[in-house]
Amino acid sequence: MSDLIQLSNGQARPKAPRVEDLELKFSEQAVRQLDALRGHYPEAKACILPALWIAQREYGGWLPPEAIAEVAHRLGHSYAEVEGVATFYTMYNTDHPVGRHMIEVCTCLTCHMCGAYKIATYLQQKLGIGFGETTADGMFTLHEVECLDACDRAPVLQIGDEYVGPVDEARIDAILEELRKREDASVVKLADEIVRVHLMAGENN
Amino acid sequence: MAEKKLLLEHAHDPAYQTLAGYRAKGGYKALEKALSVDRQAIIDEVKASGLRGRGGAGFPTWIKWNGLPKEKTKPHYVVCNADEGEPGTFKDKQLMEETPFLLVEGMTLAGYATRSEVGYIYVRGEFLDAARACRKAIDEAYAAGLLGKNIMGKGFDYDLHIHTGAGSYECGEESALMSSLMGERGMPRLKFPHAPLPTVAGLWDLPTLINNVETYCCTPSIVDRGGEWYATMGASTKNSRGTKIFSVSGHVNKPGNYEIEFGTPLMELLEMAGGMKGGELKACVPGGSSVPIINKESCEKAILGYEEMGDVGSMVGSGGCIFLNDQTCIVSFIWRTSKFYAEESCGKCTPCREGTRWMEKVLERIVRGNGQPGDKQLLLDICSQIDGRSFCGLGDAAAWPVAGAIKVFPEEFDYFIEHGHSIVGSQMMREINPAFIKSGRTAKV
Ligand SMILES: Cc1cc2nc3c(=O)[nH]c(=O)nc-3n(C[C@H](O)[C@H](O)[C@H](O)COP(=O)(O)O)c2cc1C
Ligand code: SF4
Ligand code: FES
Repeated sequence: MSDLIQLSNGQARPKAPRVEDLELKFSEQAVRQLDALRGHYPEAKACILPALWIAQREYGGWLPPEAIAEVAHRLGHSYAEVEGVATFYTMYNTDHPVGRHMIEVCTCLTCHMCGAYKIATYLQQKLGIGFGETTADGMFTLHEVECLDACDRAPVLQIGDEYVGPVDEARIDAILEELRKREDASVVKLADEIVRVHLMAGENN
Repeated sequence: MAEKKLLLEHAHDPAYQTLAGYRAKGGYKALEKALSVDRQAIIDEVKASGLRGRGGAGFPTWIKWNGLPKEKTKPHYVVCNADEGEPGTFKDKQLMEETPFLLVEGMTLAGYATRSEVGYIYVRGEFLDAARACRKAIDEAYAAGLLGKNIMGKGFDYDLHIHTGAGSYECGEESALMSSLMGERGMPRLKFPHAPLPTVAGLWDLPTLINNVETYCCTPSIVDRGGEWYATMGASTKNSRGTKIFSVSGHVNKPGNYEIEFGTPLMELLEMAGGMKGGELKACVPGGSSVPIINKESCEKAILGYEEMGDVGSMVGSGGCIFLNDQTCIVSFIWRTSKFYAEESCGKCTPCREGTRWMEKVLERIVRGNGQPGDKQLLLDICSQIDGRSFCGLGDAAAWPVAGAIKVFPEEFDYFIEHGHSIVGSQMMREINPAFIKSGRTAKV
């Protein structure tokens, strides 16, 4: 893990690694997938978003500075450029490692009208964490999100590559139990599934 | 009038998600027909159909299709805007999940008509089920020679790729979407008349067609059955033809997507969705969070059509129809709306970046019971400074709902500001832990 830079607002963020310190971590599969993706666009730069998804999977569900540096290196772009892209989008986790399962509560219009904040309070109490925080056992990260565009199922949650809704307190208890037993990390599954939908039948190996 | 299912006719049938099932219901007849006629004939059918873009703005589709160069000197692209992010809307999601071949065939038709060789479906990162369904359909179409080289043996080559977003409403704005597809931050680009139209210089500065999912899904039946036939639907309206899917949510008994013919009264849509739940109808946001809210009286007069909705002071927009019952605190609803826009503003231009946050702040202090006497006017002032002065449509879309709500429900704002609590004695605000009001995941460093 790289050094931290202390920020004026009291938070800290990891420092970009130096190129000579960079240890490439992409698996062979990841390298093959990235190569296949290059064929989809006339310019390699267009691979930045999908490559960040590959990196988020390879680095265990988030993008430490090393992951951003690796994407930049592999695509021949600057660290700053790739970091700029990664930090723009909310689904790339660039700030800190996340739990195995990220629970994202939609509190937007319709969900708010259908009691989403009650659900959010329940989740916070049950997990003992606030939005943006991760449980001490590294199991869950909780987030508030904007409309997931499944308002017919309000109030709705996104967990990994799935939507769950409408939810109530009982359903949440059951979901948390299931997630605790689950073997894989849904944050990694999400990134992997996103990579897969980019690739054609023959390219997905 | 009842539902009129054109796109959603076979939506619940899993077989329709397979190529064989799709073909059994007449799928790919349009493409077969198209590949043996002149390209202009397809564009003429789309013109005759009166089809207007279903992504929100209602722009005539044929003008875009006709706008790409007819003499081909460089690559052309087709893009599908599947970034559906407008709160209240979930029609593109269902179309992709349940009728993916309609989209694939529609985009192939568009590719042929515009002399393009590659299409991209830009789908929001959260929509995994939709993206997976499209992936399956695309793979099947390739295997059957309906994508790739020499489609149907007619010498037309066309590739179709999926590209996902990663969480950003702004990427639904077409020029921001193209930035995102090219690997950049999802910020919009300079637009016509200050820059060429995307049909002249879009993706990689090359001619690009961009339409919404539903727009493409309409085209196979237009090409197959003819534009004139399509235009018979909605003929009672001024200038809205065909069917439109409305995503109904909020306080209704049967939320979901309902496809209707243009010209259907809004109240019938409410009836289809099982009527109100938990109280009487109070208000409706008929076309996604960006359009002005209307009260019960306007709902009763409203006819679903682009111009007709304008008559009651709102818009068809993306078709995200949120019905609100009489327990709803409009101020709280609008506070959450403004929070959405403040979160999603891309930050490129000052009126929107600062204005959306300012509005959120003012509304936040009102819902916390600390409203100041001049706050209503202040909000209207901020709205007028954002509206029409922002770089892209997000700014306008952030201002309209706030200004609209103040116009239609001024007494609710006055009451909340004066008394420090809602005119509606509802639970809604009490459910909100004050700590939540200032929160949000995008507080990135
Ligand atoms: C802030 C903003 C968000 C938008 N989001 C979407 C969207 O999610 N889906 C969409 O199809 N159009 C969206 N649009 C409209 C597009 O810019 C564009 O008009 C549309 O893709 C054109 O397709 P159409 O002609 O088929 O409607 C959005 C516009 C703005 C200003
Ligand atoms: S109006 Fe300006 S700040 Fe707002 S989203 Fe558009 S470009 Fe970005
Ligand atoms: S408001 Fe929650 S899914 Fe749309």
